[in-house]
Amino acid sequence: MELLPQALVDGILLGAIYIIIAVAFSLVYGVMHVIDFAVGEWIMFGAFAGFYLNRATGLDPLFLLPAVFVVFAGIGYLAQPILQRVLSGKRGNPLLMALVFTFGLGLMFRGLAQTFFGFYSLSTPSRLSTGSFFFEKGSFFLTVSHVRLAGLVYAILITGGLQYLLKYTDFGLGVRALAQHKEAAGLMGVNAKRTNGWVYALYVGISGMTGVLIGTILSVSAKMGPEYTIFAFFVVVLAGMGYLAGVPAAAFLLGLIQSFFLIYLDPGYTLLAVFGVLYVILLVSPTGLFRKGV
Amino acid sequence: MADPILSVDGVSKAFGGLMAVSEVSFSVQRGEIMGLIGPNGAGKTTLFNVVSGYYAPTRGKVVFDGKDVSGKPPYALAARGIGRTFQVVKPFPGLSVLENVVIAAFLKHPRRADAEAHAWKVLEVTGLTDRAHEAASSLTLAGRKRLEISKALALEPIFLLLDEVVAGLNPTEVDRTIELILALRARGITILIVEHIMRVIMRISDRLVVLNFGEKIAEGSPADVAANPAVIEAYLGEAHA
Amino acid sequence: MRDRRLLGSLAAFALLLALPAVVRDTFFLRVSTEAIMWIGLALTFDVLAGYTGYLNFGHSAFFGLGCYTTAILMVRAGWPFPAAAAAGGAAAAVAAVVAGLPTLRLRGAYFAIATWALARGIQQLALMMTITGGPDGMRLPPFLDPKFFYYVMLGVVGATFFLLWFLLERAPFGLKLKAIREDEQGAKALGLNPTLLKIQAFVLSAVPTAVIGGIFAYWVTFIDPASTLGDLVSDQALVMVVFGGMGTLIGPVVGAVLIFAFKTVFWAYLAEYEVLYVIILGAAIAASVVFLPNGVLGELLYRRGPRKPAASEPAAPVPATSGKAEV
Repeated sequence: MELLPQALVDGILLGAIYIIIAVAFSLVYGVMHVIDFAVGEWIMFGAFAGFYLNRATGLDPLFLLPAVFVVFAGIGYLAQPILQRVLSGKRGNPLLMALVFTFGLGLMFRGLAQTFFGFYSLSTPSRLSTGSFFFEKGSFFLTVSHVRLAGLVYAILITGGLQYLLKYTDFGLGVRALAQHKEAAGLMGVNAKRTNGWVYALYVGISGMTGVLIGTILSVSAKMGPEYTIFAFFVVVLAGMGYLAGVPAAAFLLGLIQSFFLIYLDPGYTLLAVFGVLYVILLVSPTGLFRKGV
Repeated sequence: MADPILSVDGVSKAFGGLMAVSEVSFSVQRGEIMGLIGPNGAGKTTLFNVVSGYYAPTRGKVVFDGKDVSGKPPYALAARGIGRTFQVVKPFPGLSVLENVVIAAFLKHPRRADAEAHAWKVLEVTGLTDRAHEAASSLTLAGRKRLEISKALALEPIFLLLDEVVAGLNPTEVDRTIELILALRARGITILIVEHIMRVIMRISDRLVVLNFGEKIAEGSPADVAANPAVIEAYLGEAHA
Repeated sequence: MRDRRLLGSLAAFALLLALPAVVRDTFFLRVSTEAIMWIGLALTFDVLAGYTGYLNFGHSAFFGLGCYTTAILMVRAGWPFPAAAAAGGAAAAVAAVVAGLPTLRLRGAYFAIATWALARGIQQLALMMTITGGPDGMRLPPFLDPKFFYYVMLGVVGATFFLLWFLLERAPFGLKLKAIREDEQGAKALGLNPTLLKIQAFVLSAVPTAVIGGIFAYWVTFIDPASTLGDLVSDQALVMVVFGGMGTLIGPVVGAVLIFAFKTVFWAYLAEYEVLYVIILGAAIAASVVFLPNGVLGELLYRRGPRKPAASEPAAPVPATSGKAEV
């Protein structure tokens, strides 16, 4: 019982990061109609980038975030044409094939990561890693590590940034138009290919940055990818597909589940619990928690 | 009045805060061609989707052939004798024209050989036999519209919902389609048709229902409706075909 | 598939039946048994992937379910092999219905991730339960008779192939699945119930997979979560089907044989580079999608000149002013 506030706070802080993963994931889905199976792998590469850059430069990972964003966004922008080619493919079901493609890509990335980075689990150090706020009241005590708070700040900044981008810039307008109606947007002068390129770049960049943070807050390993892909999916489906406003609640729920298992039960069961929750909710309400999904 | 084949009874359909269809009521008599018209965005396709089971009405009910079918899924309605076409045609692109129709034929002809034979007969009626083995995606727009109708026909429906089956066709193709529709009526199929091209709908409809902003604003014979001031005002500024 | 292909398949099957009489080498027999097993796994994967348009990354879960059901029933309850393997199939049918009801309502992409997560969850479960022996796995009663297992595997996979040929190419079922794949909303208007059909396809995909798993368990005598419930089974089935040609029956067979051949050669010479295999697998999947969108079979057929035009080429629209009514 004394650990309850801790579990709650940890869950919410974790959830904040999951919001970002899910939002970026949904962005790509909304605009390009592609489920990127490799989302966890982009995060994984980001985490490794954070680790090795930190080791090489001695800079705190938080300062590395912009650099990681730029590099990853660049990679995403370059990789996007291949995805585009698959999507405009001739076979009957390009969306399915795009899924297979990203799956193959994810698999390849995992293998590459295991080759170059080995099988060990690492952790990216940060000046904030060791500090924490400590609250005590009666028998309740609460440790809020600085680095996790940094994660929350990151989540707020990115969410705010994306909101601004989508609502108040021309680019954002183009993105929203493209997501709603591809042909009409094209007729209005939105260059689908280029916008797609930027959107995918944005998504990979954000995923990379989130990976750096995750590497600092949690851990880094070549096998960490699939878990985050599943988490991204869990949040998006639970929120209701296409219903972005539901993402925060779903993300916090995921964070809470994870932190509860970490603190009270066996973390090995987390995935099963996640799937169990998802299963029950899907049975009861296929359009997500808020019944607003597509 | 003999019992109508379709009775739309105070049907409303809301999407979130948007009321796409509001308290619409009308009946379609057996064997007639009923036209459903209205400016763009009036709610015609939404109404079609409610009648054909793709949406459940938010309020009100749909009574088909004497039974309440509100909210029943499209495949249940197909089994009861409702066939429909889609405004944005939905061929099965990776399959041949014949296969497209055979799938619909399975409803009343569960065995493959029977279904194929029936599908052939339908294709003869709609004039697509020479394209039977080609991929549906290779058809022109006119062909695809004929395929749409063929598939609905293969269900052996007693009631057909036609959604803009002549939009985008050249005049000769339009006339051919009109002939087809009249021939279907002659076979006893009741038809509810949505169409923008005025000369078509005025010519073939026995009666009309007019929607505007989701509400019914007029109902009656083409002549009556054409003279109705509310209808004229709704269409003011709309181009006539 | 025309009757010519059916005859060809029957002939090939007859040849395979005669194989042990001609070839005495047990190593070759074992390799053949495994090759046949992969043909079976690729075929069942294609039922859902190619015909229905749903990627089941939990394919390995059904395989492993069959392995473990058979093992548990034989080891802990003393059941005879045929009954235990059949029970595995039954368990898979139930699992498919239970897992399929909520997940098949999702669109194909989400179904893929959901089944992927489910498979990992089940693997986790097997690692933790004592009845499955946990990470140490289980040992089945040893029965070493390569010919027996060859015939059993061939029999089951052969039966699966011809059952699928009948259900997917001859009976209405296959065409209905394709309709769902092409346009689910449109298919509803034609009287098809997509959820029902999808669940039927899911069960059809799951049951033979589990039975094959049961045979595999008894054959190799030792199973553990890593080898039977890991991603590798699904990943390999996926590459075989995508590489070979989805939505056909011959495609997965071709893909299975080719990829299996590659796999055998790879493990014979490059076993130390285990991770390299995963990289190649992933690259092969991605490359197949980009360069062989219709699979090896599709490309071969396409070159030969199709009987019907490739389903991908829309004709140029006819100008609206032509005098003749173009159809």
